[in-house]
Amino acid sequence: MSSAVLHLDEVSKTFALAKGRELTAVDKVSFEVERNSIVVLLGPSGCGKSTVLRMIAGLETPTGGTITLGETPVTGPGRDRGMVFQAYTSFDWLSVRRNVEFGMKINGVPAAERREQAEHFIRLVGLSKFLDAYPSQLSGGMRQRVAIARTLANGPELLLMDEPFGALDAETRWQMQELMIDVAEQAQTGMIIVTHDIEEAIFLADKIVFLSAHPGRVKEEIIPAFKSGGRIRSKEELVQTPGYAELERKIMRLMREEGQHE
Amino acid sequence: MRSPSPHKSRFLEVRRPVSRRQAALSAIAIWVLFFGIWLIAAEGGMVNPLLVPSPVQVFETTWNLFVDRGFIGDIGISVWRVVLAFAMASALSVPLGVMMGTFPAIEAIFAPFVSAWRYLPAPSFIPILLMWFGTGEAPKLALLFLGVVFFLITLVMDHTKNVRKELIETALTLGANRKVTVLNVVLPAVLPEIVTAMRQMLAVTWTYLVIAEIVASTTGIGAMMMRARRFLKTDEILSGIIVIGVLGLVFDLLFKAAHRWLFPYLQEKR
Ligand SMILES: Nc1ncnc2c1ncn2[C@@H]1O[C@H](COP(=O)(O)OP(=O)(O)OP(=O)(O)O)[C@@H](O)[C@H]1O
Ligand SMILES: [Mg+2]
Repeated sequence: MSSAVLHLDEVSKTFALAKGRELTAVDKVSFEVERNSIVVLLGPSGCGKSTVLRMIAGLETPTGGTITLGETPVTGPGRDRGMVFQAYTSFDWLSVRRNVEFGMKINGVPAAERREQAEHFIRLVGLSKFLDAYPSQLSGGMRQRVAIARTLANGPELLLMDEPFGALDAETRWQMQELMIDVAEQAQTGMIIVTHDIEEAIFLADKIVFLSAHPGRVKEEIIPAFKSGGRIRSKEELVQTPGYAELERKIMRLMREEGQHE
Repeated sequence: MRSPSPHKSRFLEVRRPVSRRQAALSAIAIWVLFFGIWLIAAEGGMVNPLLVPSPVQVFETTWNLFVDRGFIGDIGISVWRVVLAFAMASALSVPLGVMMGTFPAIEAIFAPFVSAWRYLPAPSFIPILLMWFGTGEAPKLALLFLGVVFFLITLVMDHTKNVRKELIETALTLGANRKVTVLNVVLPAVLPEIVTAMRQMLAVTWTYLVIAEIVASTTGIGAMMMRARRFLKTDEILSGIIVIGVLGLVFDLLFKAAHRWLFPYLQEKR
């Protein structure tokens, strides 16, 4: 038995379009996610990243292949695979605290434990001062942090994030990226993060799965060699690391190649 | 030539909000103008006083109606009809509309039925309602109910459908089952919209109330107005109109206050 938590085995998705036409968005995609590791899905727009993530979340059914989490095949959404969306998903009628408690509450976690867990994760994302604020009083980046805390507090085995920082300004985005490294280590959660930001991908990834477009296939799996001694914790450190520039150039080349196929 | 100053304030500015003071003054001015014209026309003998009594007389009559003639009883009956019929319509529409907006299978059953009824003007049922239910409260309540229920169902359904998919999917990936998703996410997300829809439909209920009471009632504000017509009491008719207007306004304000009280988080925005 390998140490992987998640297996994708030749997973495909064909959408039925109007007038009997079909679109194969994802074609025989296979990869694995190791326990507590961060996998980044990278690729040009429309290559099927979101579709792959949604199939892992159980929000979309594959038309071929299998997805297994641990030993069990994925058949629908569940609390073991928490998802953070690009769009804001805060429950506006609940305070920050109750947003973060939501998952635990519906899963029957006792009130005292819920409270403690929620406060822990709210502290982790740096929102302790806003425990009792409503989401509408928070900035976009803060709301996204609430969503991340809410998902983490629910104790998922895997955290799925679809361009979670896309709508944020550069500075907030760096903060969030560094936060994710902390979280991965503290919460001991595996993550799959979708992005098309190359720098973000290299910073976060233990492994990059690069998808090609039309149809979406795995073009290459890239493991940043310079991280063999451990993850890099800050953006400044990243750009100074030997090997970073080279990897960035390589991925840009892959992106270019994909662009020319259009 | 004067140079254009950026601070020069003109009366008409495109989409520039007015101050509270200006808003209040404008509102008072238009009403003063209205009553002024009415007063001058009536007191100056420009109109037949039998058809257009002066506002002073109308207010006196309104006072007398309350003090000597038990007008409050008629008002009570009218309010009770509106509230009861509207409560029944809401009790059906809100759950059904939410279910239809959440489950396409339920929408597929009821939507074709509901939308067909919407095109039938409720007053066209008055003759048959009278035959079925006689002259008691039932035909009036039935008319009010029929007048709003199909619109309210449709509004609630549409608002429920607009609950963002990401909210529902977030709930599912947090481990919510169907029941939790509907009761703890869809319903609270759509509730402010539902209350607003109810506020709009309550105004419509008042419209049907007047129709019901004018056509087929011996009690209530509308019936009082029809009685007054028989005795050529224009002042009493106008009193009725004013009271209906004021009641509609009061209910609207109550709903607005309820909205603010129920959904404090919506006010935090600005
Ligand atoms: N529900 C759907 N019905 C039909 N086609 C779909 C559906 N969802 C996605 N597609 C198509 O599948 C392809 C992949 O879409 P997907 O959203 O997974 O791409 P993506 O890699 O996430 O793109 P982006 O980087 O722009 O978010 C696209 O061509 C898209 O039009
Ligand atoms: Mg996408």
